[in-house]
Order: sequence, then structure tokens, then C-alpha cells
Amino acid sequence: MKKLLTLAVAAFAFTAISTAADADMQKVRIGTEGAYPPFNSIDESGNLVGFDIDIANALCAAANFECEFVVQDWDGIIDGLTTNKYDAIIASMSITEKRMEVVDFTEKYYNTPAKFIANKGTDLDFTEGTGLEGAKVGVQGATIHEDFVRMTWPGAEVVTYATQDEANADLVSGRVDLVMADSVALDFGFLQTDAGACCEFVGADYNDPAIHGEGAGIAIRKGEADLQAALDAALVQILSDGTYKAINDEYFNYNVYGEDLPAM
Amino acid sequence: MNEVTFCKLYGNIPLPQLQGYGWVFCEGLTTTLIVGVSCIPFVILLGLLGAWGKLSGNRVARIVAGAYTTVVRGVPELVLILLTYYGITLILQKTLTAIMGEQVLIDIDRFTAGTITLGLIYGAFATEVFRGAYLAVDRGQIEAAKAYGMNRHVAFVRVVMPQMLRFALPGLGNVWLVLIKATALMSVIQLPELMRMTDIAARAVRMPFTFYFAASLLYLSITIVSIWLLHRGERWASRGVRRA
Repeated sequence: MKKLLTLAVAAFAFTAISTAADADMQKVRIGTEGAYPPFNSIDESGNLVGFDIDIANALCAAANFECEFVVQDWDGIIDGLTTNKYDAIIASMSITEKRMEVVDFTEKYYNTPAKFIANKGTDLDFTEGTGLEGAKVGVQGATIHEDFVRMTWPGAEVVTYATQDEANADLVSGRVDLVMADSVALDFGFLQTDAGACCEFVGADYNDPAIHGEGAGIAIRKGEADLQAALDAALVQILSDGTYKAINDEYFNYNVYGEDLPAM
Repeated sequence: MNEVTFCKLYGNIPLPQLQGYGWVFCEGLTTTLIVGVSCIPFVILLGLLGAWGKLSGNRVARIVAGAYTTVVRGVPELVLILLTYYGITLILQKTLTAIMGEQVLIDIDRFTAGTITLGLIYGAFATEVFRGAYLAVDRGQIEAAKAYGMNRHVAFVRVVMPQMLRFALPGLGNVWLVLIKATALMSVIQLPELMRMTDIAARAVRMPFTFYFAASLLYLSITIVSIWLLHRGERWASRGVRRA
């Protein structure tokens, strides 16, 4: 691992405190959002729970890392990584070209399609390019879903929200006609809840690699090839030894990896 | 966040509607109040310095103080918070990495960064409050103090300050009320204040209305208590002044 000199700045004074020592067990701090069920959220005792968290713990066990979670608001989650508040982001972050200008990613650890939801009985023309003329589409701002809707349906009116729940709430109240997001997030986070009784999936599965990317990966600071390699190796290991499948089946009744899991 | 805290033991609101998340309010409120109160010394210090600069005969001091209040009041709080916490860190990292030839990672403490940034922002507003308060003190008072043989410092401490305080308190109270609400922006730098804690719970149980409503009541109660204290403070500062 590249030798990292850690400096702490308290108030305006610079104080050098420590040089990362190569202990037996490498310490890795993992940044996550804690507000994106069922991938990562905080339960009533304050514990981080969800698919991302279980995958993160499995990866840390496989790579023999001592892991510690840092909970960070989605706004600023990449800034927190680049400024060393943590070493990796495991928070269902899609691997995109834009983000890769700033951070490096491991291979994907899941890839689910994007889908629309609408109030039951909604009938719209989803023809790419010309469809959804004048339709109001709610998306979480600064996500691939926002980019995708803007590019694919120029006639649609895009309404952006800070969180997915706000977009969903506005769908229920009729302020938007459609909401687009990751299928699993919509399914678990909304359709399967009481609030989601109004609504259903509409339209096709969308998985345009140019926009939706390769799926969700683990973001790390640029140039940390050793950490990247260790996480990638750990990922291969949990995919092939059945750990991944066990976690997958605990949360979903279908495979979220996006391709067939390797034979055990 | 899973450690056993005072709030989880004693600060849990056991309403069934909150589904076991009653402790988030206590946790968040504590952080919000600590951040808010820690800002006050910065705000007052910067406000006094800024007012001194603006009223000073020194041209440089006037320009610096003028630039400070203009820039800080003109840029949104969120931008300034992100700039201090992430921007300054990144600039330092890049500069030091370039100088030292190996990758340097800087860690600014989030509480320190947040407190300083909010102090810096509201110090600019306090500058105007103190400037106005100073100008509101009757010039004749200073002349009288001089006639008694007090030098400038003694006159300021004994005559101007007590009267300034009376004029400044309502304005400072206003700054405090706005500052408390601005602490809600600190969640972008990992400080789990009231708004962020509420958000976490609201999204976990998908009951935004219940949780945000409870949080708004808490913000409101901070305001009500503050207004009461300020009112008493104003009465104290106006003792000896005949009420119309």
C-alpha cells in the first residue's frame, strides 16, 4: 500500500499525528449513507443494516480487513472519500464515467435495472425519444436516473428531489406522474410498503450501459491500486464461495448481481 | 452510531408511532445545541472585530471588514460549509502532495470546521449588528466620558459597551435564531445534527411527516426558549432606561 501520511488540522494549526502503519490487519473505513433501505439504513438501535452493509462485512472478512463504517449524508459522500474521511464507499453507488473522473471503482457488486413506477392504471407512451411528452417525472437529483430521463425523453419534465422518498411522496400526491429509480430500491423502499399500495411498475427494464453503467461498485480514492485489487479479489471470493448468494437470498427473491453467479 | 449513548438510555421518546426511533431527537438536539452554542464566541468575537474594522479610521481594516461582510453574506451557507470542509482540505492535500512528493491526506475535524464556518458566517451578520449598535450610542455620551478624563478604552468599556449591548441584543438574538436553523446544514460534513438524525429515522421507517413534524416542534421550542431568555436579557440591558 502506498505510504500515506495522515495529517490532522485542528482549527488553523497543523499537527502531524500519525503515519499509517502496516499492522497485521489493515484498517479500512467505509463510508455509507444509512438512508437507502434495503441497501443501507439504520435500525432502531442505531445499527447499520442492509444489503450493502452485509456485502461490506463479507468483503472485509474475505480480505482480512478490519472495517469501520462512517455514516455520511449522500451530498458530499464523494468529497468525504477524496478528503480522507473514509477509504471506500459502499453505498449502492453506480459506476459512471462522471464519477470515475474523481474516484476509482472496483468491479460491480450488483446491477439491477432502472424502472418507472406510476399510480395504478397510468397509461403513458414510453417510446424513447418522443414519448412522455409533458409528463412530470420525479427523480433523485444528481443520479444516473436524472441523466437517463433527460436524455431519453427530452419531452418529459424532470423534477428533481434530494431523496427518493420525497420523489415517491410526490408521486402519491400526484405532483409527478412517474418516478424513475432502481427497480429494487423502488420495490422494497416503496411498492412493498403501505404508502406504495397506490402504485406499480410501468414500462420496460432500462439498463443502458452508457448511462446506467456497469452497476453499483465500491468507490475508492484514485491511485489506490492495492486496496482496489484486494476488494476485487474479495468480491470474486464471496461470489464463488456462496457468501454472496446467501446475502442475496436474504434480501431478494431474485439475483441482483445482474449476471449468473459463478458456479461454486 | 450503534454505541450505547445517554440518549439511547434516557432520551428515548417511547411513543409507539416513533417505532423505537425516539432517541434520534435527543441525539440530534444535543449536537445541534452544542454546535450552535460553540459558535457564539466566534460570532461575537468576529462581529466585534468586524464592527471595529468597519468603523475604524484605518483604511486597510475598513477594506478587510467590508470584504468579509460582503463576501460572507453574499455566498450561501451551504457553499461556504462545503468550501471550508472539503475545499480547504483538498487544496491543502494537493499543495502538500506537490511539495512533499508523496500522497498527503489531511483530516480537518468536522466539528471544528463546522463551528468555525458557522461562526464565520454569522460573525458577518453580527458585524452589522454591532456597527449599528455602536452608531446608536449618543455621541454626547462619549464626549461626556472624555470630559470626565476617561481615555478611549475606559470610555468604551464603561460607557459605550453597556449601551451598545442594549442596542445589539435584539439583533444578536435574531442572528442566534437564524444560526440554530443553519446548523441543519452540518449534515453534509457528517455531523449528525437534529435534521440529519430525523432524516435517518424518517427514511428508515418511511414516516417523513411524523418525524419532520416532531423535529419542527423541537426547533420551535429552541426558538421559544431563546426568545424568552433574550427578552429577559434585553430587560436587564435596558435597566436604568426609562420605559416610554
